[in-house]
Amino acid sequence: MDANEQKSDRPTEVRFAASTTSVDAIQRAAYRFGDRFSVELLPGVDEHICILRSRDDADLDEETENFRVEVLDQTLRVRIRKETEPIRTMILAKAFSRTGVVDPQDLD
Amino acid sequence: MSRFRGAEAFAASGDDWQLLPFRFERLNGRVLVTNMVGEHLVLSGEDFEVLATGELPADSDLVRRLRAKQVIKRSGERAPLSLLALKARTRHARLAESTGLHIFVVSLRCEHSCPYCQVSRQSEDRDRYDMTLATAERGLDMTFRSPSRSLKIEFQGGEPLLNFGLIEEVVRQAEVRNRDEGRDLGFVIASNLALLSDEVLDFCARHNIHISTSLDGPADLHNRNRPRPGRDSWERAVDGIRRVRETLGVDHISALMTTTKRSLDRVRDIIDTYVDLGLRGIFLRPLSPYGFAIKTKSYSAYDAERWIDFYREGLGYILELNRQGLDLTEYFSTVILRKMLTNVEPGYVDLMSPAGIGIGALVYNYDGSVYASDEGRMLAEMGDETFRLGHLEVDTYESIMTSEALLAPLEESFALSAPMCSDCAFETYCGSDPVYHYATSGDFLGRKSESDFCRRNMAIFKHLIDLYENDEFARRTFLSWAGR
Repeated sequence: MDANEQKSDRPTEVRFAASTTSVDAIQRAAYRFGDRFSVELLPGVDEHICILRSRDDADLDEETENFRVEVLDQTLRVRIRKETEPIRTMILAKAFSRTGVVDPQDLD
Repeated sequence: MSRFRGAEAFAASGDDWQLLPFRFERLNGRVLVTNMVGEHLVLSGEDFEVLATGELPADSDLVRRLRAKQVIKRSGERAPLSLLALKARTRHARLAESTGLHIFVVSLRCEHSCPYCQVSRQSEDRDRYDMTLATAERGLDMTFRSPSRSLKIEFQGGEPLLNFGLIEEVVRQAEVRNRDEGRDLGFVIASNLALLSDEVLDFCARHNIHISTSLDGPADLHNRNRPRPGRDSWERAVDGIRRVRETLGVDHISALMTTTKRSLDRVRDIIDTYVDLGLRGIFLRPLSPYGFAIKTKSYSAYDAERWIDFYREGLGYILELNRQGLDLTEYFSTVILRKMLTNVEPGYVDLMSPAGIGIGALVYNYDGSVYASDEGRMLAEMGDETFRLGHLEVDTYESIMTSEALLAPLEESFALSAPMCSDCAFETYCGSDPVYHYATSGDFLGRKSESDFCRRNMAIFKHLIDLYENDEFARRTFLSWAGR
């Protein structure tokens, strides 16, 4: 059995409740770990299932925990982004109001 | 009735805190928080939980710190928005000043034969590898078409002193044009100094020209890295540095080192060489994936982790020397610290987003081709013309700056819309380097989790923040570097 077959034989499954975790947050977390393991995402109504496959012999036991924490962080990032998006747009508009993109009076 | 309201009117009401845009990254149990313009604070895990769950008290040290860094504001408050807008505008002010650096590759010939050469120099004495005066004049037309109030013309090669007559003519013509333009005009010659003559020095002194050279460290290391006939590259470089210092002044000479595999265990020797020569700083930098560095496998001789160790040891030694009273700067850290601790964008092409290609610099090759960056022309010398924006004979500044060859990599690599970068707490310190990612992964964006550019920069950001937060002397030194 070669190394690749060993890796494909040892995928790890991680589940997230769909009510609290978005597909976006999972995808963002998966991207961050792309150098160590791949994530096959199976979205569901009640839960999202992730199948982790190791790259370059990464220790999946340890990486699975890191992945769970990262998904939590990404969920928080999604919430912060959503909550602060209007104010961010307003600040950028104010910053570049002299460019003529927006009417300064609209910002008061 | 008092014309002032009582103190209670100014007290925090407790439950009306509003989040402002911020990003975060975990650092060994603590959490780095950066606001919209990259100003940072490091919180304990517990404090971050309080912020994340929105259970901030009416007043506390944490609340004061978060307000001071514009991570939160009270409902109805306008000042934090104005402050963030002002800082954001300051950070992006350079965009309206596009293309301050204009690189003239006056010759591709070079008498050195460095195995890590990133520009694939031509060793044969061929006139066809020298820029002509007609091409240089068109380059000057384009230079002065740039809207930037500050223009720097840099002469590169090969070895530019092999075509010094052209340099003289370009400098004279640029100065004449600038009598009407009134720009802040500067000149740099990037030379190995092996051919430095009194005539060159005299011209540089009369025209306030700065010299940038290569110095890889002590003689044995430098001469092995940089072979030339006579095996005396180091001796000539050192003699040249001394003469430039005496003639032009210490502020008119700077040196760059390139890290080869042989350099990795010798960072202290390398720094000592710079100190012995009276140089005020050093730029610790890795090899780039272009030119002979790829052909000779110099680039793949060590990985990002090994280079990070080299950088950490070097920075530690530089701080040690500063503790002993020496004023010595590490320049790459300084670029990052300016981004981290001030609202000034230093304009370092590799650490800009939108990327610095074209916007920060244009390269006029010896044959009249125009490239988006020095690295773009290096790729072209390897046969890949992806970053060739046009030609001086047929193109204008407008057609170059609106070319698809420039706009596509700028748009595709923009960090604020790039996966991972858009969430990254270090984004404002970093940049998007489409040429690097194209060279290493075949697309302008690259996959950040596999990118050595990302790995190296993240490690440096974390290291600088760790030192800044936990070492009082390092903090004072970094503040002084950032203010330069």
